[in-house]
Amino acid sequence: MRIRLAAAVTALALSLTACGSGSSDSADSDKITGTITLQTWALTPKFTDYLNEVIAGFTAKYPGTGVKLLDQPGDGYSEKVLAQASSNTLPDVINLPPDFALPLAKQKLLVDVSKGDDLSKTYVQGGVDAYKFTGVDGVYGYPWYLNTDLDYWNVKQFSDCGLDANTPPATTQELFTQAAAMKAKCPDNFLMSRKPDVSDFVRAGIKITSDDGKQFVFNTDQAAALVDQYRDAYAKGYLPPSVLNSDYQGNSKLFTQGKVAWTTGGATGLADFERDNPSLKGQVTVSKALDTPPLYVQGVSVSAKSKYPATAKAFAQWITNADNQNKFGHLVNVFPSTISSASDSYFGSDDGTPAGKARALAFGELKDAKNLIPYEVNADMQKLLDQQIALAVKGDEPSRKALDDAVAKMNQMLSRQ
Amino acid sequence: MKTLRYFLLAFVLIITVGPFVWQLSTSLKGAGEDIYTQTPSFIPHQPTLNNYAKVADAIPVWRYIGNSLVVAALTVGGNIVFATMAGYAIARLKFRGRSVVLGLFLSTLVLPGEVTIVSQYVTVRDFGLADTLLGVALPGMVAALNVLLMYNAFRALPQEIDEAAIVDGATVPQRLLRVSLPAVRGTLAVVAIFAFIQAWDDFLWPLIVLTSPEQYTLTVGLQYLSGTFTQDQRLIAAGTMIAFIPIAILFSALQRYFFKGVEEGGVKG
Repeated sequence: MRIRLAAAVTALALSLTACGSGSSDSADSDKITGTITLQTWALTPKFTDYLNEVIAGFTAKYPGTGVKLLDQPGDGYSEKVLAQASSNTLPDVINLPPDFALPLAKQKLLVDVSKGDDLSKTYVQGGVDAYKFTGVDGVYGYPWYLNTDLDYWNVKQFSDCGLDANTPPATTQELFTQAAAMKAKCPDNFLMSRKPDVSDFVRAGIKITSDDGKQFVFNTDQAAALVDQYRDAYAKGYLPPSVLNSDYQGNSKLFTQGKVAWTTGGATGLADFERDNPSLKGQVTVSKALDTPPLYVQGVSVSAKSKYPATAKAFAQWITNADNQNKFGHLVNVFPSTISSASDSYFGSDDGTPAGKARALAFGELKDAKNLIPYEVNADMQKLLDQQIALAVKGDEPSRKALDDAVAKMNQMLSRQ
Repeated sequence: MKTLRYFLLAFVLIITVGPFVWQLSTSLKGAGEDIYTQTPSFIPHQPTLNNYAKVADAIPVWRYIGNSLVVAALTVGGNIVFATMAGYAIARLKFRGRSVVLGLFLSTLVLPGEVTIVSQYVTVRDFGLADTLLGVALPGMVAALNVLLMYNAFRALPQEIDEAAIVDGATVPQRLLRVSLPAVRGTLAVVAIFAFIQAWDDFLWPLIVLTSPEQYTLTVGLQYLSGTFTQDQRLIAAGTMIAFIPIAILFSALQRYFFKGVEEGGVKG
């Protein structure tokens, strides 16, 4: 019986491969023709119409081409991409954030798109830089949409606790002082809502990796002093205890619940807060990110194993061109990575609504925004660092020792990559 | 003493059922009321079924349920047939290497599924089953745990009954179908429930095997409710309840057999 099943499965497999291998004649690789697949990350069903429009524009411009859209769900995307990579089934054009592109670029699975093309003429420098990695030459993706963080403040808690919502903190140090002021007036309220992470070290100008990108070096006295500052703030009750727990769901949840008066969030954040808790309408004011605003980049990469490399490259350029990116930015609060989009007055104009204000502020920020989480620091490392910092902030371990331990373990993880 | 017992019972009930109640109440809340409140409030003030309708608008939820049912049926069927046969063979038939086979089954239990997921995917792809529902179901069609459950159930039956059947001239399939199987129906129900839950709840494996959105199972398809820029928690909660309800129904229908089956395997030994 066992044997019969195995035979049946093999027969099935053979018949299926026979069907699949009919169309493997590889065309002239420089010609823009053939059907390619595009893989996006969690954009349907909301943006299905937009993506179909982009695809229709492309196939109209290049007759004989076709684009199959595969949108992958948000969760488990990195596992999905890694499984595709290890089984040689990467789609031709893939929407990858830089930290996902890094391991694939190192394995030579992505095309260096900077060859014969000066990308910095078309795309903003920060976007292009995001797809350059230490240790590999070239640029491994076209920058697509950009975003950054803004600060959102609870107006009611500000005025109740003697703070002025028109002048919220603009730097991390001001955040500490205003948190103290709030605590003095309202002992049950909290202004601060997160513990430091690697981005705070970058903000403070601390070097994260050595020049060759092979080691972490952020366990300095300056970093320890910053963690100490958070430890003291925690001891005085400026932060709610839940930020140290493993069930911490991010500052935006605490903010929506009304437990804290501050959160960070993208330019789309306000809509989310108000939808989750309609009672927040009119209660939220928005300001620029503290210190240096972060830059979040999404991009599209081209698979090195694509059967139609010219088509794949042409489509990646098409979906990231100024025209298509501007249209996308009009649909949702994200920002085009093309230089010429700066002349689109929509992004910089504050139409008086809170969402419009958020858009204008965020667009202004992008000039100064920098990537604050080095791509070498993957999710597992961030989690490890997070645990060490929680120990230090709680006062269970001296900050310096916690950072030393974190760096030692993260170096091990880095060397295994 | 009694109050303490009830207190503990109530406590465990709250921590296990609480999150479900929260999801249920969130899925019924109208657009005008707060989801995240300082003290959780479970009773919707503007109760609505709109969120469920919106889930059906946003994603082809029936199609996903259909796909999930196909995978679940294959997995349940496969486990009932193959785990029974494997369990019976190890428990009742004498053949060389029997203890090795048992040891191998046991040892695969130790490996977490994530470790083998990529090699499993490469295997399924080489069969030509990538992006098919059969490919999703295939690796789960004989679960080692279910083989051990069946093995244990068959082993608990008195050897003498089998011997009597041999004297009467019964062949192996006859002994399995007529003599032993009717005595282990409880364990079969346990196997069916385990297999169904495993197939229905699995997320990572179907996500990796399937690429075309129209083939997605419910757990994967529901992920589309949380998009990149906006997540409506009310819709996500409604989706979660849609995925949860069939399991609740199946379990309550088979509950009687389930507990009988758990006893059957364990006590007599």
